[in-house]
Amino acid sequence: MAKKLIDLVNISKSYGENLVLDDLNLYVKENEFITLLGPSGCGKTTLLRIIGGFESPNTGSVIFDGKDITNLAPNKRQLNTVFQNYGLFNHMSIAENIAFPLKIKKKSKSYIEDKVKYALKLVNLDGFETRTVDSLSGGQKQRIAIARGIVSEPKVLLLDEPLGALDLKLRQDMQYELIRLKNELGITFIYVTHDQEEALTMSDKIVVMNQGYIQQIGTPEDIYNEPQNAFVADFIGDSNIFPAVMVHDKLVKILGAEFECVDVGFGVNKPVDAVIRPEDIDLVPVGTGILDGVVTHIIFKGVHYEMEVTANGYKWLVHSTDMFPVGSEVGIYVKPFEIQIMKKPESEDEEAIVIDE
Amino acid sequence: MKKFISKIYLALIIILLYAPILTLVVLSFNSSKTRAKWGGITGKWYVSLFHDDGIMNALYTTLVIALLSAVIATVIGTAAAIGISAYRQRTKSIFMGVTNIPMLNADIVTGISLMLLFIAFKFTLGFKTILLAHITFNIPYVILSVAPKLKQTNKSTYEAALDLGASPIYAFFKVVFPDILPGVISGFFLAITMSLDDFIITHFTKGPGVDTLSTKIYSEVRKGIKPEMYALSTIMFLTVFILLILINTNPKENKKTEHIINSKARKVSKLIMHRLIPATMVVVIIIGGFVYSKTNKTVDSKKQLIVYNWGEYIDPKVLTMFEKETGINVVYEEFETNEIMYPKISSGAISYDVVCPSDYMIQRMIKNNLLSKIDFDKVPNIKHIGSQYMKQSRQFDPTNEYSVPYCWGTVGILYNKKMVKEKVDSWNILWNKKYKDNILMQDSVRDSFAVALKSLGYSLNSADLDELNAAKNKLIKQKPLVQAYVIDQVRDKMIGNEAALGVIYSGEAIYTQKENPNLEYVIPKEGSNVWIDSWVIPKNAKHKENAEKFINFLCRPDIALLNFEYITYSTPNVDAAKLIKDPDIRNSKTAFPDPKDLDRCETFKYLGTKYDRIYNELWREVKSK
Ligand SMILES: Nc1ncnc2c1ncn2[C@@H]1O[C@H](COP(=O)(O)OP(=O)(O)OP(=O)(O)O)[C@@H](O)[C@H]1O
Ligand SMILES: [Mg+2]
Repeated sequence: MAKKLIDLVNISKSYGENLVLDDLNLYVKENEFITLLGPSGCGKTTLLRIIGGFESPNTGSVIFDGKDITNLAPNKRQLNTVFQNYGLFNHMSIAENIAFPLKIKKKSKSYIEDKVKYALKLVNLDGFETRTVDSLSGGQKQRIAIARGIVSEPKVLLLDEPLGALDLKLRQDMQYELIRLKNELGITFIYVTHDQEEALTMSDKIVVMNQGYIQQIGTPEDIYNEPQNAFVADFIGDSNIFPAVMVHDKLVKILGAEFECVDVGFGVNKPVDAVIRPEDIDLVPVGTGILDGVVTHIIFKGVHYEMEVTANGYKWLVHSTDMFPVGSEVGIYVKPFEIQIMKKPESEDEEAIVIDE
Repeated sequence: MKKFISKIYLALIIILLYAPILTLVVLSFNSSKTRAKWGGITGKWYVSLFHDDGIMNALYTTLVIALLSAVIATVIGTAAAIGISAYRQRTKSIFMGVTNIPMLNADIVTGISLMLLFIAFKFTLGFKTILLAHITFNIPYVILSVAPKLKQTNKSTYEAALDLGASPIYAFFKVVFPDILPGVISGFFLAITMSLDDFIITHFTKGPGVDTLSTKIYSEVRKGIKPEMYALSTIMFLTVFILLILINTNPKENKKTEHIINSKARKVSKLIMHRLIPATMVVVIIIGGFVYSKTNKTVDSKKQLIVYNWGEYIDPKVLTMFEKETGINVVYEEFETNEIMYPKISSGAISYDVVCPSDYMIQRMIKNNLLSKIDFDKVPNIKHIGSQYMKQSRQFDPTNEYSVPYCWGTVGILYNKKMVKEKVDSWNILWNKKYKDNILMQDSVRDSFAVALKSLGYSLNSADLDELNAAKNKLIKQKPLVQAYVIDQVRDKMIGNEAALGVIYSGEAIYTQKENPNLEYVIPKEGSNVWIDSWVIPKNAKHKENAEKFINFLCRPDIALLNFEYITYSTPNVDAAKLIKDPDIRNSKTAFPDPKDLDRCETFKYLGTKYDRIYNELWREVKSK
């Protein structure tokens, strides 16, 4: 098992009245690709800045490689950041930008030249050495920022939504590039995004955050298939979340209809939340499913159709490659293991509380 | 059509704006010395300009002050701007407001307050105080041009640099500084321009013997305009003009070219910024220093004399002769009024060696223990000063120990013989209805009250309220008869036969009589004011012996004669008066009245602030009735 490279212990941070991070605990293992995922304003950048040393937490400590670096200056930390707004140096050429950290380390001229070339190649911008920052597109700037971040081979690279300005194609390319870089260079990545698809594609581990709390930590599969609460379920992919009652082990009553499931240990006749992914709902001829409904809306999405089926007073979101025109009656069936049962939060507060691993 | 009119309008404005400067430029190439005549194109004024040591020294001082103050102000101002930018928005705007105020403040207020500050802290006014003053007024300009650049720069670039391992200082100079450099440079040039441009603040904070071009031009121009000054002004205008162009093009150009320049071009511009400009400055200062030290051989401070005198109050030849004969180097400084001179002496900010105040001011200086006794063994030429003048001096210097009379004069009536047929011997003729609208009075409190008080038989230093009220009423009674209350115009109007009678100073009367032979000057039988300007030595003089040598030199009849011919005010030097060639002047009763006439005259005395106020109050009543 790889060791803990960064350990965040009981981190709290507030700006005036505004509590941005509340008693947060998180560790990052060596050579891990960890993604902080959460809605805008939930404190991702703040957490990254605390790791980078640009903000100090009100309480708690940042442990790096076994040493407490909470109060260490940013320039003394062995980690580089790719900033949300690039932070490129306008008055320097691209080559000078990338060479900046190497010059500080007093590397030889030829070493720097080689490294700059190599870094540019990594981000697919060979030959850009003499260009000026102003002459680059937003996506090119982001890639230069990445090149500058990795060229000095830091132990950890912090990336704050580095692919935000790219089109879909380029973004996908860059996602693979980043994964490749991680594997090639053995750098630990802490990656910030609010794009759940990106998080699922790239990460070894995803940290879902909301309002300064960690909602769930887990592998992309864990997060997607077994969201631990409604927020995570809702945030990761599209979901149908129903108020339900656990009749007993392996049987749940959703909107009056009884569904078989695989979950146990929720008690008898306890209210729960049931999550069913839209692609896990099978549409079958009327009467052959568990309950029946009417198609009320349909959108073509490319790979599949996105349909809205009204059944038992609820709108069910369904993804299917089969098309059912609006108005047609359908049966609804869900395989037992496709139903995810979650404990209902007892209060508003609990809804956002930390769930430690 | 509209376009045409707007173009004409623009042209007119430009002509209006630049016509005076153009005139100056043209005149600087005029080979004829007078403005009125065009004598062909010449560059000789420029040549003689560069041969004038005084001007070259002033030029060097100006450049050094401009460069030094700009460099220091740029450093301080940039640091301040960075400090201010770190504050929150509200604190920031308060700070910016506070730094802007000195810029909007009238120069004269800044100048005087700086002078007072320096004096309060017992700074010796001189090169250093000018430099400090220039730094002070330049800082806001630097802040103002750096602050917007800081606002534009992305804070994250600084953080990015730190993140990549740069120390805060390295990050500042490598990352933040280049971003704000255009602002810093334009702030620097703005500071140079402001410094070159400044006259008023320099005027108030400078000490004797130190001049910048602007104060030099000012003091030269007061002596009558020399064509060299046109040349100098032209050069100054061009310099400031070029600097302004530099300031205004610099930042924009940078941005535009950034897209297209390749790294080679950038290297060249970097070279200019980092090497050429500093190099030029160093060269200017070194060459300047070389020239300066050559022309201004290091002065042995023992061989120095700092003279503080009225403007135009000595024949320049006399100074050169004194320097030649004694080997003493004279630093010569001028003042406009006793009231400007007094605080400089009393504060001790400058130690002058020899000063020439007026009677009442000498009285005040003696009273306040500011003067030292003159060693008359060292001033044997005192024997040439007429005893009646020594006697007059006792009104303000009772023991004759502190002052040596230099120039003197009386106040009297100037009248036109063609217009006034009767005998003029009394102030009362100024109340004669016959001469309604033909009488000119001095527009000055003490002079007007002197006339009224004397006509009533009182002392012109009266401190008796009844007497003063009587004088006031008498002046009010006279008002309908008076054509005008004026100062300098008495002279011109009398020459031009525009009035029959006028109250005038004897020195001016001599001049008018030369221009208009019908004019006659009398000292009324009731008596009048006699004023005496005398040389004194301040207590804190550093070269008292040199000062005594100087006073002795001025008392030499041949020297006193030179000065009399130059200044044209009466000389107390009786042996010099005998040497005057022109018999009309030698025997002039205006210049040298009978001793009995003089006996009836009084000098003004300093009456203290209370009576100053009373006199002014009464005078205001007269004027407003
Ligand atoms: N310097 C600051 N002063 C005051 N409040 C701040 C400061 N920086 C961040 N905040 C607040 O802290 C909260 C978290 O901000 P943060 O930048 O960490 O969000 P984020 O998760 O990165 O959002 P996004 O996805 O939009 O970048 C926000 O409410 C923000 O307004
Ligand atoms: Mg953010």
